[in-house]
Amino acid sequence: MLLQVRNLRCGYGSLEIVKGVSLHVSPGEIVTLIGANGAGKTSLLRAIAGLLPPWQGEIRIHGRSVVGWPPWKNVSNAMVLVPEGRQLFADMTVWENLLLGGYHNPDRRMGIEEVFEQFPRLKERSRQLAGTLSGGEQQMLALGRALVARPQFILLDEPSLGLAPLLVHEVFAVIRQLRDQGVTVFLIEQNAVAALGIADRAYVMETGEIILEGEAGDLSRNPEVRRAYLGKSYKEIWE
Amino acid sequence: MSILDPKYETPPPEALQQLQLERLQALLVRLKRNVRRYRELVGDVRVESLADLARLPVTQPEDLANSFPYGMFALPLREVIRLHSAIGPEGRQLITGHTQNDIKHWGRLVARQLVAAGVTANDVIQINLGNGSSSSFSGYVLGAQTIEASVIAEDPFHIDYQLAMLQNYRPTVLITTPTNAREIATLLDQRRIDPQSLHLRSVLLSRPVTEAEQDQLQAGLFAKVQGNFGISEVLDPGFCVQCAEGHFHVNEDQFLVEVQGEELLVTTLAREATPLLRYATRIACALQRGKCRCGRTTATLVPGRRLDQRVLVNEMPLYQQQLREVLAHTAAAGHTAEFEIADRRVVISLSVSERIFDDRVRTLQSVQLEVESEFLARLGIEAVVRLVSPDRTRAAGVG
Repeated sequence: MLLQVRNLRCGYGSLEIVKGVSLHVSPGEIVTLIGANGAGKTSLLRAIAGLLPPWQGEIRIHGRSVVGWPPWKNVSNAMVLVPEGRQLFADMTVWENLLLGGYHNPDRRMGIEEVFEQFPRLKERSRQLAGTLSGGEQQMLALGRALVARPQFILLDEPSLGLAPLLVHEVFAVIRQLRDQGVTVFLIEQNAVAALGIADRAYVMETGEIILEGEAGDLSRNPEVRRAYLGKSYKEIWE
Repeated sequence: MSILDPKYETPPPEALQQLQLERLQALLVRLKRNVRRYRELVGDVRVESLADLARLPVTQPEDLANSFPYGMFALPLREVIRLHSAIGPEGRQLITGHTQNDIKHWGRLVARQLVAAGVTANDVIQINLGNGSSSSFSGYVLGAQTIEASVIAEDPFHIDYQLAMLQNYRPTVLITTPTNAREIATLLDQRRIDPQSLHLRSVLLSRPVTEAEQDQLQAGLFAKVQGNFGISEVLDPGFCVQCAEGHFHVNEDQFLVEVQGEELLVTTLAREATPLLRYATRIACALQRGKCRCGRTTATLVPGRRLDQRVLVNEMPLYQQQLREVLAHTAAAGHTAEFEIADRRVVISLSVSERIFDDRVRTLQSVQLEVESEFLARLGIEAVVRLVSPDRTRAAGVG
């Protein structure tokens, strides 16, 4: 197991958001966590990345506990987070954003070349300010910035957010390519159709708890998932 | 080593425990949301390790019977695409529902057993499981479809026809009951037909038999014989896989097993329509862990005796209550009777009261005939009625 989470509880103040979640990601998999807004997906991801201290539970990467590790140490451990809303440095160029992504990596220039090979459009716009890119290009840059660190494991928070359907398709094609290159992906998404379309396995989270786990194809057929996330109305499914 | 799903049949213990814990936690959330009975029973118990399972309530077969037909379903009936019935406590009926995913998983689990027995897409399978086994029949068909083997979808009503089918269709795999397998072996012997003239490579039995019986059938049918252990209220077949070493490996990615006292308890981890928490199977079992020589790492179980009054009559599971109910539909209603299971049939010692006594033989024979035909019509089993004097059954203390 690359990532192993057991009984994770965390939240903000006295408010418990993640209520005893267990999940795992094996090497080479794309695992998606789907759920509605406010289900606790991002909090769970922030806890895994070391940005939110857990109240209880275990988080292990390659069998080693990473609870209490600062986020930079996780990056050195080849795990990177692509946060929700891209979080780019809008006043810096594409090149500079990519350079920051490989801050700890002495080979970062080579890493940037590899990213340019994967995203030729970023190379074309390397001197352009990140804030002037389109939504899709910004998402590519956010992904590219993460890849400069040459991660084995990438955490993606809502990469489809705010993107037109065509761009969602493009971003998800890149995620699939990453898996093909051996990168393990943990993908958090509200866009269940797209996420289940590329994932190997999936978890469904509701109000801080995992309610379903299984192969992505199975979850696409699950009545509760179809009702809540795949656009089939309650009336249509539950009569 | 023929293993269809190495990920689930040979997992490292830690990976399996993680998967089971995740599935158990998700199951509890769903049960509390969707099944009123479990919402009341489970309450606020939190499960943080598999050891916490012992703190959860046990589901008794009576719970299922009391909520008949759909009280324990976790999804609306519209999502259920298959309904199967099973015999519950005292012969009461139980219903198991399956969604599309349940059916897909069932096929996969049975396919694991078929692959373990060396069955491939090139095989032709004859299935003959006798009366009252449509559920098991469906399971085997699903498994065969999963590995794309051919199934002869024809029920040979008589052993002669079955033998003719074995000779003409040339199936390479026979899935049947131990009784039927014995019958075929005997018939081959009586008619001096060389079992090698059939094309059977593999025989899968519907229930476990002793090693000696297995060896005997292997010699009589000239084919590899493997058994099955299932629980009709949970899943049968598909609950476990008998490996080449003869061990029954539980499909632990789908079922969490434990032994309480000597009874096997089963929790369904992935079932959508009718999930069960710590279902008391009324079967004594011993569980063993550790890697098997076949390569599987999942728990093995040694099935023991039944812990209730269920008996098998010609491979059909029955409770004495069901036998009494049949009797209640005849002229012998209300009479003291003693039941004995012998040689594939029920022998009924019926105490003759003044009400049915008649000095004409024909009248007594008509009672005998009525009872015997009623058993055949209602349960599909053969019965033999012996009329005895009231003193005899009273002395035996049966009523």
